[in-house]
Amino acid sequence: MTSDLRREHLARYVIYTSLIVLVAVYSVPTLGVLLSSIQLDREITRHGLWRWPGAVTLENYERVLGRATVPNYLKNSFSVTVTATAFSIAFGVLTGYVFSRLAFRGSEFLYLAVVAGLFFPPQIVIIPLKQLFSKTPINDTIWVLVVVHVAFGLPITTLLLRNFFSTIPAALREAAIIDGANEGQILLRVMLPLSLPALAVLATLQFTWIWNDFLWPFVLLSTNAKAHTIMAGIVLLKGQYDKAWGVQGALSVIASLPTLLIFLFFQRYFIRGLTLGAVKG
Amino acid sequence: MNLRLKTSQRLWTIAFLALPLSVYVIVVIGPLLASAYLSLTDYTFSAIASPEFAGLKNYERLVNSKKIHTAFQNTVAWMMAALVFPTGGGLFLALMLHERIRFANFFKSMFYMPITISLVVIAQAWSWIYKPDWGLLNTLGVSLGIIDREVFWLSERGLALASIIFAWCWQQVGLSMVIFLAGLTSLPKDLLEAAQIDGANYRQSLVKVVIPLLLPSSVVVIALAIINSLRSFDLVWALNRGQGESATLAVEMYEETYFSLNAGYGSAISIALFALAAIIIAIYFSRIRYLEHLYD
Repeated sequence: MTSDLRREHLARYVIYTSLIVLVAVYSVPTLGVLLSSIQLDREITRHGLWRWPGAVTLENYERVLGRATVPNYLKNSFSVTVTATAFSIAFGVLTGYVFSRLAFRGSEFLYLAVVAGLFFPPQIVIIPLKQLFSKTPINDTIWVLVVVHVAFGLPITTLLLRNFFSTIPAALREAAIIDGANEGQILLRVMLPLSLPALAVLATLQFTWIWNDFLWPFVLLSTNAKAHTIMAGIVLLKGQYDKAWGVQGALSVIASLPTLLIFLFFQRYFIRGLTLGAVKG
Repeated sequence: MNLRLKTSQRLWTIAFLALPLSVYVIVVIGPLLASAYLSLTDYTFSAIASPEFAGLKNYERLVNSKKIHTAFQNTVAWMMAALVFPTGGGLFLALMLHERIRFANFFKSMFYMPITISLVVIAQAWSWIYKPDWGLLNTLGVSLGIIDREVFWLSERGLALASIIFAWCWQQVGLSMVIFLAGLTSLPKDLLEAAQIDGANYRQSLVKVVIPLLLPSSVVVIALAIINSLRSFDLVWALNRGQGESATLAVEMYEETYFSLNAGYGSAISIALFALAAIIIAIYFSRIRYLEHLYD
């Protein structure tokens, strides 16, 4: 028994040590970004980045936020992300409800056709989409991005919300029908109030994906468009800030803050979202 | 069910589906078909000359292009790495963190955090690890005497792709970890206890009980790995723009379309990517059915 106990202690010791070492190594890339953001470029040029910073400065942050470009990118990111998140979830509520409760002939096929969109690389539609948008009045505005994110968000929101609605007892809906409620009222008054946790999960997921996306603004907007988001902005500014490592670091930190904060505050929802369905297969 | 109720349900169904499905058709399905058509033309974005039908010429060029061969190999290599490293690493971390240990939540968050960060920022972080003059790897390597010259991690042939994939795996490990953790939490406790009572040691119960029961979680992890590797563009573009033969199919498609303006040819590449995705996913799902029946 004692030798068992000792072995368990040893195993624990090994696990803790390896976890601490792993976390330390794992954090190095993130640490590099933080380090660069608080040092002056000439310090980095002279001593390299990877050392204890000689003098800590916030100048890089001031430089980044002091120019109109970056705050404008951030504003665009917020507008696109919030609007597209809201619409994609609203659409997912509608389709998810139909596919879970209002099945009709061919609805299973339609459902699969929508969910199959999850698997396809978005690059496939870039060229025709760019042509399509160039003929509309929303060309080069943030609305292009909103529309695309809503459409490409539909597979995941439909999938998760259909699965979620299917877990709500059918008796609730039947009772409402007997009480004379129509489908619109059932969705609004019966289903939605029960779905708030699922909606929160989806909101955190969609917010993160849309905020972090760089492909769509990069390929759909022209380079000098005013509608660029912060992630596209980082890539676009790269040429200008070629040797401005501090500015690049500060930009990266600022751009990552919103999703990091969401992650910290809504961690549970976030992880549930990614693992939804994972357990059931 | 009476007729009036049925009609009203029909109307609501149409009302609910109309807007979402129209947007989906206009933005996803329509352009997909348009891409298929453009891939058969010599379209160049030109406003004057309308696209001429070119038959399978673009596909012929694609099949014989050395660049495409490399990009295809790179995409497959990416997929293989995606299947092995984040999956293995995630499983390893999940098994460790599933034990009752202190600060488990802190450790989980630390491994998970990179998933919430944009690939653009991840590229920034790793460019400071790979940078030839003062990057971490070269600084460390030289001072420890492992390397005697600057290594060009992001532009040397063969090395560039590996470096990019490594950075990507670093980000993805947390994702598989969380999914495996969820799978582990939902494992039936009595099965594990029964195995223990039967005298199974840790390794035996891991191989014979835990891992087979984690199959459903693996399905998700693997599906995500496949999807993400096929669309791999952001990280390559932000890190080295495909230098050192590190371009994936998605990167090659972008270059042909936006730099060479061969939109017809670019469409052909994107349709090839689509076909690749469809084939892999079909194989994958037929295998999954088979595997699931094995454990019924």
